[in-house]
Amino acid sequence: MSASQSASARRARFKPAHLLGHAVLPLVGLVLMYPLVFMVMAGFFTKQEFMATVIHAFPIPKEPTLRNFRALFEGTTDAAVAEYFRNSLLRTVYTTFWAILTSFLGGYVFARLRFKGRDQLFLLLLATQMIPMTIAIIPTYLEFARFPFMGGNDIFTGGKGILDTWWVYLIGGPAINIMGTFLVKQSLEKVPIELDEAAKVDGAGTLRLLFQILFPLQLPIMAFISITTALNVWNDFVTPFFYTNSDHLQTLPSAITRLSSVGAGPGASANYPLIITLSLGITIPALLIFFFFQKYIVQGLANTGIKG
Amino acid sequence: MSHDGNGVALAQEAPGTPRSPGFWKRFSTMHRDALLATVILLPMIAFWLLVSGFPTLFGFVLGFFRWIGIADQPKFIGLDNFVHFFKDPTYTNALWRSIWLGGLVTCITLLSGFGAALLMNLPLWGKGFYRSIWYIPAVTSTVATTQIFNIFLDTNNGVINNILKSLGKEPIVWQYSVGWGIFWIVVYSAWKGVGAAALLWLAGLQSVDQSLYEAASMDGAGSLGKLRHVTIPGLKPIATYIFITSLISAIQIYEQVLFITNGGPYGKTEVLVFRIYRDGFWDFNLGMAGASSLIMAIIVIVITVFYYSWSTSSDRKTTIPLKKPGRGV
Repeated sequence: MSASQSASARRARFKPAHLLGHAVLPLVGLVLMYPLVFMVMAGFFTKQEFMATVIHAFPIPKEPTLRNFRALFEGTTDAAVAEYFRNSLLRTVYTTFWAILTSFLGGYVFARLRFKGRDQLFLLLLATQMIPMTIAIIPTYLEFARFPFMGGNDIFTGGKGILDTWWVYLIGGPAINIMGTFLVKQSLEKVPIELDEAAKVDGAGTLRLLFQILFPLQLPIMAFISITTALNVWNDFVTPFFYTNSDHLQTLPSAITRLSSVGAGPGASANYPLIITLSLGITIPALLIFFFFQKYIVQGLANTGIKG
Repeated sequence: MSHDGNGVALAQEAPGTPRSPGFWKRFSTMHRDALLATVILLPMIAFWLLVSGFPTLFGFVLGFFRWIGIADQPKFIGLDNFVHFFKDPTYTNALWRSIWLGGLVTCITLLSGFGAALLMNLPLWGKGFYRSIWYIPAVTSTVATTQIFNIFLDTNNGVINNILKSLGKEPIVWQYSVGWGIFWIVVYSAWKGVGAAALLWLAGLQSVDQSLYEAASMDGAGSLGKLRHVTIPGLKPIATYIFITSLISAIQIYEQVLFITNGGPYGKTEVLVFRIYRDGFWDFNLGMAGASSLIMAIIVIVITVFYYSWSTSSDRKTTIPLKKPGRGV
């Protein structure tokens, strides 16, 4: 909103609405934050104290401890926690890197290059985005299990394929990120093509044009694509939970899933202190990413959400 | 395709900077784009087919087979799985529940998000901060935050039951009650979705032609009058978009069902996507999982196609007249 618009809005609107805004926005905001506040407070408990205390809405530990927070990096309470954290981080960085690369290159191809069937191919790819991805989960499991020549398989059978290996996380990397491609395509179409031509006249090759001239212009949309991809992968429990089994391959979300009633079976008494530690490990970095880059999230959401 | 040789030549040409207007220029006008597109797209689409395209297609095909247990031989049974789907009330109930639960969640998040967006659109001090705070639940992990809800809802040492006990009331066994299960699923979904809905509405509000507001105040419209005669009609196309996309994702909700009620008690809180998981991963009924996924996909596609045909036919009606009363900006 420009300065003149907000000035005119200030003139035009009357006070009761402002009062309502100043009351409702912070109050509901506090209610929305409450589960996270609870999570942080519970994070200061030792396992023994949490189990022994009658937990109230704002639990305050008698002997606050930082062990749970330190565990994420050092593994003081549970060696595996640091490993889950590392796995989550590696997987997120890897997938985000590829999302940036494939979105940018894909966007360039569909925005700038002219070839037969371009628009049809793009529409086909875009149309697949409306198919619910749940349909692919079981077939993906079967495909991974029957992956040729991997994990003791002959052509299709005999071993476990690439299930329960690092390949589960790696294989999807180079696949084209279709939503990202769509966003970059839209954003590139606003860049005048004369820029490309001028660069070529000045002797820039395709690689230079792509990465030194066009890429820097796409930084805001690339930021949005990387943040949403990173948050999605960081929070994803499906891939590790369903396609891996070994402890050393688990990430923070899948580790929580295994501790929850979904993984441990209904009625199992949950190890809440460990769950809270892992939850903090997932939530705090996600919040940090959000606070540093929220400008791009707001912009990007407006771009994706409100497309005329 | 024998593009490889040329692709290599192109790759060598790319980093260099010689100006060779003769051959390359002629060549580039004819084939360069197609070759470059092939070199870039081929590997990306091959990997996409491997991890996404092929499994999706495979998933559709699964629905026409009886396949129970991975070791079983799949047997083609035509439409039997789909017939079974509509005969077995646990499936039709799950489908129905997906639809009304999704609709309920969509309405609650969009209505409260709209109210919030109206307030966030005021020139308030600290509105950017409020916007961030409201959006935070959306970036948290469902797995992590549902566990916090589970600590609230624990039967023996849960926060809510402890509060009830301290007030001298009977603790509630939430897990035994269908109504409470649905209630907490809806509360969780609204908690998570309201901030994102507010942001979408906010972007929509700011896209409404601002000059219309001035025109309306000159005509003597108050705040409510402007809301009714400018904001709401101006938002119509965007509102439909927001409603449709929210509905499509809300009818596919399953994670909160998985972690909060796990479908219980007695499968009475199951939604269709949750049922797909249960069939696929716990009962290994791969054929029924495929058939249910296909039905879900068809519903989503039908909604989308209806929306697109509606929006392309009504765009002219709703957006173009809007521009007329505005004085040229």
